[in-house]
Amino acid sequence: MAAAADVRDMLDLPAEGQPRPLKKQKVVEKRPEGITRELYALLGERAPPIAINENKYKGRPKWMNKLRVRPWSMAPFTNNARSDGLVLHHWQRTHESARPPVPTTTAAPEDSQMEVDRPKEDGKEEGPKVHEQEYAFAKYNVKPRLPKRYTDDEYNRHLRSDDWSREETDYLVDLVTEYDLRWVVIADRYDYQPQMDMEPDANALVPARKHRTMEQMKARYYYIAATMLSLEHPPSEMSEAEFDLHEKMLKFDPDRERDRKELAALQLNRTADEVREEAMLLEELKRITTNEQNFITERRELYSRLEVPISVGNTAMYQSSAGLSQLLQTLLQADKSKKRRSILGDGALPSPAGQTPTATGGLGRAETPVTQGVGNKKGSIAKETNQVVRVLTPAEEARYGVQHHERVSAGVQFRSDRAQRLTQAKSNVQTQKLANALSELEIPVRLFMPTERVCKDFEKLIQSVNMLLDARKVSEKVESEIRVLEAAKSERERKMREAAGTSGQTAADHPQVKKEAQDGESGVGDPANGAGGPQAGQQQGDGNHKRSASVLSASSDKSSKRQRR
Amino acid sequence: MNPSNPPQAAEYGGDEVSAIVLDPGYSTTRAGFAGEDAPKSLIPTYYGKYNADGQEKLVYGDNIFVSPRPGLSIHNPIGRDGIVEDWDMAEKVWEHSFVSRLTGTKAGNPFQNGLNDVDELPVEMDVESEEKPLSDSPLLMSEPGWNPARAREKTIEIAMEKWDTPAFYLARTGVLSAFASGKPSALVIDIGASNISITPVHDGMILKRGVQHSPLGGDYISSQINALLKANNPQPITITPHYLISSKSAVEAGQPPQANYKTFPPDKAPDASYRALLEERTLTEFKECVVQVWPGPTRLSAPGPTGVSNEDMARNTPGRPFEFPDGYNQVFGVERFRVVESLFDAKAAIPDPDSPFPAPTPAQTIPELVKASLAGVDVDIRPALLANVVVTGGSSLLYNFTERLNQELMQIFPGPRVRVTAAGNTYERRFGAWIGGSILASLGTFHQMWISKKEYEEHGPNIVEKRCK
Repeated sequence: MAAAADVRDMLDLPAEGQPRPLKKQKVVEKRPEGITRELYALLGERAPPIAINENKYKGRPKWMNKLRVRPWSMAPFTNNARSDGLVLHHWQRTHESARPPVPTTTAAPEDSQMEVDRPKEDGKEEGPKVHEQEYAFAKYNVKPRLPKRYTDDEYNRHLRSDDWSREETDYLVDLVTEYDLRWVVIADRYDYQPQMDMEPDANALVPARKHRTMEQMKARYYYIAATMLSLEHPPSEMSEAEFDLHEKMLKFDPDRERDRKELAALQLNRTADEVREEAMLLEELKRITTNEQNFITERRELYSRLEVPISVGNTAMYQSSAGLSQLLQTLLQADKSKKRRSILGDGALPSPAGQTPTATGGLGRAETPVTQGVGNKKGSIAKETNQVVRVLTPAEEARYGVQHHERVSAGVQFRSDRAQRLTQAKSNVQTQKLANALSELEIPVRLFMPTERVCKDFEKLIQSVNMLLDARKVSEKVESEIRVLEAAKSERERKMREAAGTSGQTAADHPQVKKEAQDGESGVGDPANGAGGPQAGQQQGDGNHKRSASVLSASSDKSSKRQRR
Repeated sequence: MNPSNPPQAAEYGGDEVSAIVLDPGYSTTRAGFAGEDAPKSLIPTYYGKYNADGQEKLVYGDNIFVSPRPGLSIHNPIGRDGIVEDWDMAEKVWEHSFVSRLTGTKAGNPFQNGLNDVDELPVEMDVESEEKPLSDSPLLMSEPGWNPARAREKTIEIAMEKWDTPAFYLARTGVLSAFASGKPSALVIDIGASNISITPVHDGMILKRGVQHSPLGGDYISSQINALLKANNPQPITITPHYLISSKSAVEAGQPPQANYKTFPPDKAPDASYRALLEERTLTEFKECVVQVWPGPTRLSAPGPTGVSNEDMARNTPGRPFEFPDGYNQVFGVERFRVVESLFDAKAAIPDPDSPFPAPTPAQTIPELVKASLAGVDVDIRPALLANVVVTGGSSLLYNFTERLNQELMQIFPGPRVRVTAAGNTYERRFGAWIGGSILASLGTFHQMWISKKEYEEHGPNIVEKRCK
């Protein structure tokens, strides 16, 4: 859009005067206060950017002048916390004493900063009270409550000690009272000299002749204090707090305390490397805990994959390296066809054929968390763990989970698989029984955390369960034999009785009674549930296997029913 | 806050009884009223002695620096280890410190009070025999942590009998410095003129077995600077104090000085100790302007983190110029780090056979002192002490000193948290112990701790051992 000026420009017309005057704005700058009108006029329109302001003293407001100043005076005072009545002087308002010595509410500012003087007689009355008023700070003079000091008699009867002489005990108790149970200071100042005076010598830097540790002092003092406390009130009459204190003091263990201090010193004097390692471990721990949720979901996923029906098929074909590589190929094929994330991750996984089944988890030390999971080659594990080959002590081996295998079979194995195989017996029935036993013991068939130790224990458990099952089988066999023989015997007796049927009634009664007695005897002799065999008895006697025994009984009941059917 | 209102006692717990706080050090003596934030009276502990008209005269205060009287010799009543040696003179110097500014006599007739007499020395002390100087002010004095019992008893004796104070207390400088930074428990590192001291403080009481001190204080640094100047590269530098120079003209850096010197005939010349005192002033200025502590984390002689040795790194930092009183001036480069390195690393000391200080042993360096000090206290409070390290004392104002100290401590104790507290304010750092005393003596709860005159008369000077523990 062309403005009028542009048009004129194009037509070479002279500019028509000024452009339209803008609306006049009244620029009236306010004259600053500290400057006269004439001087301000000289400055012209554009005043220099100087801040002209005067810091004027603002006096008291006028109404205050009517008030009278409240006088202060140098007043003497005594301190109740002192015994010698030392008189010191401090400034005080003359009629300050009308108020409580320490205003309880800090938020009570004197609303009128200068109060109107009270009537004169008021001030006069309170003048002499200054002395009587208690010193405000005396109440802070507090002492800890210490047990009563022992008398000679009490000392001789209850507190004698071979290690501590009476004089030294006195010295200790004096120090404790003097330093209000601050053990750090007491131990620092402790300087008992048997023949010399009791005063703590100023040059305590000279080591005491008989060095007492803080623990020894504490043990002695607590013993005294606890004894005095129980003499004052017998433990049955103590209040709860007192009893607690008494117990605590009695249970003080100087040796443990000393050990604790040694540990604390060790902790304090760690080298920079140790501190760094600890920091790193803590960092690692933090990382682990934050990732835990992640880890759990991943593991669940892994389990759900493993949770396929237990393969009954032979795995022998995969035990050779060729078989494994074939398996890998098929898996890869399957993997490619899926759209999911690859099993191989970055493809950095080496061929499983060359790997040893050693527990690589043990190598994942915090120092080198990432690098080691990958590069293990057969026979070079020790070197890979650390650049420097070092011999591990048994304790370290246990810590890092290093294991030595006499013979290593080829291929990858799951430890859990080995444990799993144990639960598979030759017959399905036996397997079922094993499973029953395990479920009775609330042990899952598939171990949740198949660590080395867990697997070993599991193996032991399965063995003993097997042994129990065997024992039960034997006992059942013996029992059934007994039953058959029993039946044969009674059959024979019956026949004999029929043969001798003509003989008198009384004679027939007698053997029956006798037989009942025999039955009772055998019932007592045999274990109630028919586990008659000697091995079974042994097993039952073993307290550890009590639950297994009950398992056995239950299953044996069932099996006997089955037999009857 | 309206000054006409008393502060609420519950708020700050103060109750001022116009006590005087006296903090005598080796180089300066500080005195002032409790409750103030800096000592009103600051005088050198040195005093001058000379003969006039066959009479021995003494000079105190800042006047010792001013006029080179014939035969004026400078002395110090306090020994190099911080313990008073000359009790008579110590008493006079201390008395001067408060009488001259704080409790002095009322203004008299100006014709007679001596201030307008040109010939007379205004500083001469004429203590009225009838009136003792401290009759109405309680006195709080400070003492080093290793002060022997005899010296403590002597101190209370002077305060009670010579000065007639109604109440007295003797506190350790370490405790007071800890109070000045608001801590009841702290590890106080005090870098003074004659001594470095490490004082562990627990609940307001020193732990005697942990108190350590060594003579590597400000005077030792001065001797190191002297050694440095003696071995200076273009030519050895000698310090000519101002009083020997009548005029000088500016010269280029490193050029020989052009100055007119004053000469004193042997019978008019002051003693050598006077010259030493004034040289020390120049050295103090040198310390303030030039000397710098290598900030660490490793020692100056160690290779740096990047492979370049620390010394080379220091060499690359811009130097600092310094002009001596005679006009000679020079830029000081890496040397300015070297003079203080031996506070941390005994091997780095600049050897000087003429120095009054023997070469420092490793056990005298600050890190070793701290280690030894902590070894003397219970293990349970060591971490707490390390988290409350308080640095005080005038010589700790060396540039970067606290940084280096922090680094050294963190290297010795990598485990616990090390926290070094140092007042940023120069005054608070120099007068830490005095300020702590000022706080302590103006607390309402402290007034039960004073040893009163009555108690002193009852128990004798030995009471100081019982009460000031």
